[in-house]
Amino acid sequence: MRQFITFLLKSLAILILTMVLLDALYTVFYMQSDSRSKIDYLYNSKDKKYDVVFLGSSRVNNHFVPRIFNEQGYTTFNFGITRSRLEESALMLKMMVERNYKIKNLILQVDLNINTNDHSEAIRSLFMPYLHSSKTIRNFYKNIPEYNQLLYIPFYRYLHYDARIGFREMYQTAIHKKTNALDNDGFYPLMTDQRPMVAADLSKYYPKRNKAYEEIKAICKANNINLIAMTTPMCMETINRDYFNHINTVYPEIRRFENAVTDDKYFSTCGHMNKDGAIEFTKIIFKTLFKPKAKP
Amino acid sequence: MFFNSLHFTIFLPIVFIMYWFVGHKSKINQNYILILASYYFYSCWDWRFLFLLVFSTLLDYVSAMKIEKSKTQSERKMWLWLCISINLGFLGIFKYYNFFASSFAEMMHSFGFSVSPILLKLILPVGISFYTFHGLSYIIDIYYKRIKSEKNFVDYSLFVSYFPLLVAGPIERATHLLPQIKVRRKFEFEKATEGIYQIVWGLVKKVVIADSCAIYANEIFDHYQTANSLSLILGAIYFAFQIYGDFSGYSDIALGTSKLFGIDLLRNFNYPYFSRDIAEFWRKWHISLSSWFRDYLYIPLGGSKGNKWFQVRNTFIIFLVSGFWHGANWTYIAWGFINALYFLPLLLLNRNRKNVDDFTLKPDFESVKTIFNILVTFAITCLAWIFFRAKTITDAIHYIKRTFQDLHFSTQYLKIERYSHELIYLVLIFVIIEWNNRHKIEPISGKFSWLKMSLCLAAILALGVFSDIKEFIYFQF
Repeated sequence: MRQFITFLLKSLAILILTMVLLDALYTVFYMQSDSRSKIDYLYNSKDKKYDVVFLGSSRVNNHFVPRIFNEQGYTTFNFGITRSRLEESALMLKMMVERNYKIKNLILQVDLNINTNDHSEAIRSLFMPYLHSSKTIRNFYKNIPEYNQLLYIPFYRYLHYDARIGFREMYQTAIHKKTNALDNDGFYPLMTDQRPMVAADLSKYYPKRNKAYEEIKAICKANNINLIAMTTPMCMETINRDYFNHINTVYPEIRRFENAVTDDKYFSTCGHMNKDGAIEFTKIIFKTLFKPKAKP
Repeated sequence: MFFNSLHFTIFLPIVFIMYWFVGHKSKINQNYILILASYYFYSCWDWRFLFLLVFSTLLDYVSAMKIEKSKTQSERKMWLWLCISINLGFLGIFKYYNFFASSFAEMMHSFGFSVSPILLKLILPVGISFYTFHGLSYIIDIYYKRIKSEKNFVDYSLFVSYFPLLVAGPIERATHLLPQIKVRRKFEFEKATEGIYQIVWGLVKKVVIADSCAIYANEIFDHYQTANSLSLILGAIYFAFQIYGDFSGYSDIALGTSKLFGIDLLRNFNYPYFSRDIAEFWRKWHISLSSWFRDYLYIPLGGSKGNKWFQVRNTFIIFLVSGFWHGANWTYIAWGFINALYFLPLLLLNRNRKNVDDFTLKPDFESVKTIFNILVTFAITCLAWIFFRAKTITDAIHYIKRTFQDLHFSTQYLKIERYSHELIYLVLIFVIIEWNNRHKIEPISGKFSWLKMSLCLAAILALGVFSDIKEFIYFQF
């Protein structure tokens, strides 16, 4: 039995050593990457100056065309990430501040995402490689239930989120395989239209006060960033469009643009505009809220 | 409590310590610890079904003694059939009632009658097919006087409920397991380390191979209407490795766990995808079930005695019953039927026992033929697996039809954000490892075992699927 216990202890030692080595290896590769996602780009950038930054979910990623702003003399970037919620937007803004970004205006999508105080597991995972190296990320997640395991058990974070930051993603990162996440200054156009279009149903949604949104407001105030919170278009067939009115009863400052684009030809799906719709919408936003900069 | 769960990782060492450090002095203590652990293990799924398990155990235990004590043959027969009927009755109600009721309604509908069957909202008790067959083999062996009935209820209960085999086999025989339970087990270092190696290799098969293949196979089977020929072929191959990795991985973990307690269980898989014909495949796939059907169904039906017509009839019966055993769905029956069809030419040409010997490859024509036969056997097995995996027979037929009609062989980017061909490299590495170790139970033992162990652990950690833990497929049977 003693021999077997020694055998088990050796096996356990190998297991722990393997976890430590793999953790170190994965982290090294992720730390060097800045071309696979908006989060790694953000993590590895510093001292950027933006006139306008866009934050939100796919309804930002697919809806705001930075080129339209840039052509008018502005410096902009679309940091919208598909599936992200306000919690992840808040963390991204904190990281921007930590990295000494100078941002004049922040356009934040606040519509469907205000319905929940929850987080996105898929997007949270993308912050995990930087858990040890970024105090901002550590502080942000210190109250989540699995925080201790994620921080102190080597390799646990890569096991827990293996679908997003596991071997496959690590390998693609190691070989510096680029994605299209950063093309078009972060704008990802939808090129196909789903027909017949299925109406979005907002009858289960009800706007409520959102902790992450409050946090974003506070960060903007503290850093002199002009926050423009707004709704973005949805197709006219959407069930319970009254939802958008309720948003204003909770947060009156949120600007309403859900009706800015209405023609079905501009929609890829009911909740997402296609490329033409995005261009149309961005032009409207620019015209309504900004003026072309005088050329030097 | 799955073998690949954190719960089991805590449970197993506790039982191990109790077994070898507290109860090691007598066989009675060892058996009490194992039976308590087994009942706890089973109750983790649903404690209410513990009553069913205990009832089934009690029924077989009493029936066996009654059969043995019976003075007349008719009394013996009465007890045998009573026991079989109650056992199969439970299995029938829990597993097959809804299937028969809805199939009957469909049949009546096709004759123009409208029938609304009463369907039961029942949860299938985990492992019921396994422990029912366990008990049946014991009763039938008693009836044929192959063994004496077990008088010690604890020992018998352990034979039925022993946790490593309780929920998905292997289906043990009283002649093999009971003698081991009847004596005090002594700790053997070699056996225990072999057990650890087998558990680790079983985990590689489950979390690295089966669960990775499941991601791709599920995507391709669920959206086969938009997949091209290459993706459909790969989907069938991925499913073949998913089900193999899942079930043989489970069996390896079960056998390895049992070795930690000094008990050997029956081998369930013997590298079935290296079979040269379908008969050999069935001697190597789910061996404990195939041999169960052979001994308790095929041979009592007359087996290979009698004329060819009887042999063909018996072959079809066991394959159809085997398919139906897997689940109450026509797809499983179709799968059994297809395997019977594959078997038919071998039976008619008396070639079903042609490939019973071992083989080695040499640079000659015979070896090329062997490899060709292995590939053909694997291909037709994959074809049958399509029926096993598809939701309906119509889906399976459309899947196969599309494979041969689409004829596009470029790699496809799937909705899961991966290319359809990506996993094939991992599968190939796995096949090479299995091929090189096909004469051993697992590939870790032997030379450089520490290095191989480290690589396996690294593979489990780095390549395993953890965020989307999938239960073992055979738990549902």
